[in-house]
Parts: sequence; C-alpha cells; structure tokens
Amino acid sequence: MIASFRAENLKTRKRWANWILIGILLAWILLLTYLTLFLVVTLSPKSIQGPVPASVLKRRLFPENFVPTVLGASASIGAAIMLIFGALSTASEFGWLTVQTILIQKPTRATVLGGKLLALAAATLLVSVLMFAAAAVASYAAVTLDGSSSAWPSGEVMLQAFGALLLQLAVWTAFGAFLGIAFRSAAAAIGGGLTYLFVGEALLGSLLRNTPVVKEVLKFLPGINGGAINGAFPVTIRDTAASTQLVSAGRGVVTLLVYLVVFTVFSLLIFQRRDVGGS
Amino acid sequence: MAQTLAVETHGLTKRYSTGVLAVNNLDLRVRAGEVYGFLGPNGAGKTTTLRLLSGLLHPTSGTAIVAGAAPGTPASLARLGAMVETPAFYPYLSGRDNLRVVARYGSVPTSRIDPVLKLVDLTDRARYKFKTYSTGMKQRLGVAAALLKAPDLLILDEPTSGLDPQGTIEMRALIKELKQGGRTVLLSSHLLNEVELTCDRVGVIAKGKLVAEGTVDELRARSGGSALLIRATPLDQARRLVESLIKPEKVRVDGDALLLSIDPSQAATINRRLVSDGVDVSELRVSEQSLEDVFLELTETPQSPHPNPPPQAGEGNGRPAGGGK
Ligand SMILES: Nc1ncnc2c1ncn2[C@@H]1O[C@H](COP(=O)(O)OP(=O)(O)OP(=O)(O)O)[C@@H](O)[C@H]1O
Ligand SMILES: [Mg+2]
Repeated sequence: MIASFRAENLKTRKRWANWILIGILLAWILLLTYLTLFLVVTLSPKSIQGPVPASVLKRRLFPENFVPTVLGASASIGAAIMLIFGALSTASEFGWLTVQTILIQKPTRATVLGGKLLALAAATLLVSVLMFAAAAVASYAAVTLDGSSSAWPSGEVMLQAFGALLLQLAVWTAFGAFLGIAFRSAAAAIGGGLTYLFVGEALLGSLLRNTPVVKEVLKFLPGINGGAINGAFPVTIRDTAASTQLVSAGRGVVTLLVYLVVFTVFSLLIFQRRDVGGS
Repeated sequence: MAQTLAVETHGLTKRYSTGVLAVNNLDLRVRAGEVYGFLGPNGAGKTTTLRLLSGLLHPTSGTAIVAGAAPGTPASLARLGAMVETPAFYPYLSGRDNLRVVARYGSVPTSRIDPVLKLVDLTDRARYKFKTYSTGMKQRLGVAAALLKAPDLLILDEPTSGLDPQGTIEMRALIKELKQGGRTVLLSSHLLNEVELTCDRVGVIAKGKLVAEGTVDELRARSGGSALLIRATPLDQARRLVESLIKPEKVRVDGDALLLSIDPSQAATINRRLVSDGVDVSELRVSEQSLEDVFLELTETPQSPHPNPPPQAGEGNGRPAGGGK
C-alpha cells in the first residue's frame, strides 16, 4: 500500500491540472468571496440594496465569520473542484490505459486502489488546510485594513469546522473517484457528477424542498447533509433569513461518513471485478 | 530447467461481454528460457490472451499458470514484465518520471532506472514528457518499463509495431539481448519474418484457437514444404485445365501464376496437357513454400472469411484451417 501511495503521490504532485484546480479554488475564496465584497463595502457602500447596511455586512469578512465563509465555499466551489479532482484521478487512468501499466506491476488491485484513495485523502487534507488558511488570512487582512476588531472563533470551534470541511471535501472527492471508476471516462464522470451537484441536488433542494416525498429523499443526499453540518457554524450577522436544516448536524456527519465508506467500498468492488483493457 | 514451463494454460477461454469469443480453449505451453512467438492475424486473440496472462482480464473458463503462479497475483506479477497492446504512460510525466512511478508500484529500487533507459537508448530523452515522444520512443519506454523488475518472463505485444526498419532491427537485437541469462520472452506478432528471426518456437493462433505450434522449420515442413508453380497465359484456361487433372482445392492462384500443392513429379504430365491445349507456359518450377503461405494456410477458414483478409490475389484457395496436406 505504501508503495502504491508513493507512486500516486508522485503522479498527483506532478500533474498540472491538479494545481490549476487548487488555484481556482483559492482564487475563488480570495478574490470572489473576500476581495469583491471588501471592495464593494469599502468603496461604494451605498450600492448595497439589502436589509443589512454595509457597515454590518462587512463583518461577514472578519475573522469572527471566516469559518462559515470557508464552509460555504466548500459546499459549492469546493465540492465541484474536489469532484473533478477525484474523477480525473481515476478516470484518466482508463483514458490513458495506464491502469493496465500499473496493474501489471506487483500490488493487487485492492492495494493499487487503496494507495490511490490514500493519496486522494492526503491531497484533500492539503486542500482543506489551504482553504482554511486562505480564508483566515483574508479575514485577518480585511479586519486589519478596516481598522476594526473582531474575535477569532475558539480553538475548539475551529477544529470542529476544519473537520467539517475535511469531511465534506473528502466525500466529494470520493464521489468523483467512484464516478471515474464506474464510467471510466473523465468527461462522463465530471459531467455526471457536476450535473448531480448543481442540478440534481441544488435544484431539488431549493425548488421542491417542501414537497413531502422529495423532502424525505433530500434528507439522505450528501449536499443537504453537508449543509446541515455547515448550519452548525452560523454567521454572526443575519444577512439573510437563516434557512432551516432538514436534518441535524450530528446526523449530517453520520450520513457523510456513511457516504465516504459506501463510495470507497463500491469503488473497490468495481475495480476488483471488472476487466481491464480494450476500449 | 529446460522442461519447466514459464507459461501454461489449460482450456483458457475468453468471451467478451459483447459476445465475441476472442480466445477459445487455448492450451499454451511456453518453456522457460525460450523466445516464443505468438503469431496470428489481426483480431486472432493475441492481445486478449496476453491480457489474460497478465491478469488484466478474468477468463471465462480455463486456467493458467504464469511465472509459477496464477495470473495477476503478486507472486506471478513480481516475475513478469509486460507491455500489452500499447505502451501506456502518463503523458504529463517525463520518461524518467514514468519509470519512477512504475518502479514505485513494483517496489523496484530507483537505481534500476538508469540501466534500463540506457538499454533501450532513451537516456538522452528521459527528461522529456512522454507526450512528446515518437512512436518508437514510446515503444522503447514500454520495453524499459517491462524490464525494470528484471523479470524472468517478458511479455511483449507486437513490440515492433509502428517502428521504422532501423527501429525494427534495433528492437530485434534488443530482444535477442534480453534472452540472455535464461529469461523467457513471449512475443506476439502478425509478421512472419519477425518471429522467424527472433523466436525459438512459434504458436499460431487463429480465431482464438491455437492452430499450430513448433519451430519455424517444423511449421514449414508441416504444410507440405513445396508446391509446383506454373506461369502461363491465358491463366484462366490454364487453371481450368489443371483443375480437370487434379483436385481443384490443390490449385491456388498467386498473382499471375498457379500454385499447385502436388507432388512435383506430375509436372511433366501437366505441362504436356497445357501445351497441347494451346496454353503458353512461360515458367514451371518447384516453389519452396514460404512461411507466408504456411501462415495463410493455417489461419484461413473458407466458410467464414476473416474480416481483414491478408492481401492475396485471386480466390479458390479453399483449404481448411489447421490443414496442411
Ligand atoms: N474489450 C473488448 N471488448 C469486446 N471485444 C473485444 C475487446 N477487445 C478485443 N475484442 C475482440 O476480440 C477479438 C480478438 O482481439 P485481440 O485484440 O485479442 O486480437 P489481436 O490478435 O491482438 O489482434 P491485432 O493483431 O489486431 O492486435 C477481436 O474480434 C476483437 O474485436
Ligand atoms: Mg493485438
């Protein structure tokens, strides 16, 4: 397993596409989330139309709120990026037929995939750290530039939030990796995964949220459960009517852990059994 | 030692989910230390067989022992180096990094990389990305990767495909070199001179079945060895006349000549008949059957023509597969 893990790490590290994905994710947080709002509230506070005045809204950018901000990013752009990352990591092996090259080395299929999943887990940890750090630094910069003061969340809250971030990113990575193995095509895996994420879950979740049957189904979806976890870390200002969660944060954690196991087990089962070769 | 088998299969069969029966009840025996040529036309099932032997495909039925263990098990893979169908590597990694990846999977020390790069003459280009490689360089990197483990058994699927004459000659020399030290090489090809020049023994596969096995000389002898070649005009008339004298299935058109699979002592009788009926006979001689003929004869089945028949003039060569005389 260690041998496969080391080989995977080398491949992951040297693949440009992976760094581009991380770059997009960090740029999203730093530029779109922080910089844009910062510029709006400082340069043209009058342009803000909502019920919350700019002087309050800008607290959204401060350290007291960096946890909900980074968790919000994890549920949207973070989920998409990690899904693509996971799907590329497995599907490309079939596209390039390199799966054949690595399966005729020595490790068993389970070991090969185990090493790959471990490497994906390590990469997910790294991305979580980078996202967390980027949001923390940006919020520190915002409060300093503004000359205001804002309290950091307690160490315990930060630790829990980091766990929540890591868990959600891991589930989406595992989902992408599973789709890549199931479809053996990066285009199909990414297309299918993103469609599910943005059309399936997001649309169902917002449009049909109050239809009784749909509501029961929604309680089992990964995005909804992730949202429930994130709901446990509220922002300090009420800028929108806080939406109620369908499930408790605790149930969300359990559901996501189950998803993580299910995606891993199914990936292993499919990878073990199916023939490799021929296109 | 001489009689231990590097590869042994019993009734190995693979039917793809599409229904194609690619390998049909194959019994293959490759002896340790030999270079075994696995010969067959396009679509015969060579690659499928080699994938089965490397554990990439699960057989529909039958069993195999490869390098002393079941295909695809760590015990078997540890002693096997293989390149199946195409050299498959990470396009964004350099040649050397690709070998580093392969070495890590195989738990091979990185110190093996430089020697194999040198062996396949890729040292100078090792730092370039795989996607920038030419076909020949990719092929050589494939061989290098297969050699990293210093395997007892080397499986190479059409290692000269896509290579220019110079590259082909170099690859052949390399294969001869690889044989040193008691290594077994299992090599597939659809080119006859290829196996003739490099292999100790040859197995011919057609439509998933092994139709012949032996040394190149044995195969040639098996098909009757020689034939009578007649060049005559008009050819059609000559053919009709000849077919009235001997069994039509022994007559074959080869370009502008007839090839008769008969005892050459009948030459005089046939010649006399042709001339008396006004056919001009410009050449009549005993033709040593080429390996090409043997191959065509072995891999053809008249009732269901192969989708990609090898180029051949005329028809009427209705001989059963596995035939010979
Ligand atoms: N993945 C696959 N799914 C379905 N059928 C396949 C698959 N791979 C190969 N086949 C079929 O199996 C048969 C044998 O193919 P195979 O690739 O083993 O032949 P081959 O002897 O290697 O041919 P070539 O000389 O062209 O490489 C062919 O009819 C082919 O169409
Ligand atoms: Mg082939």
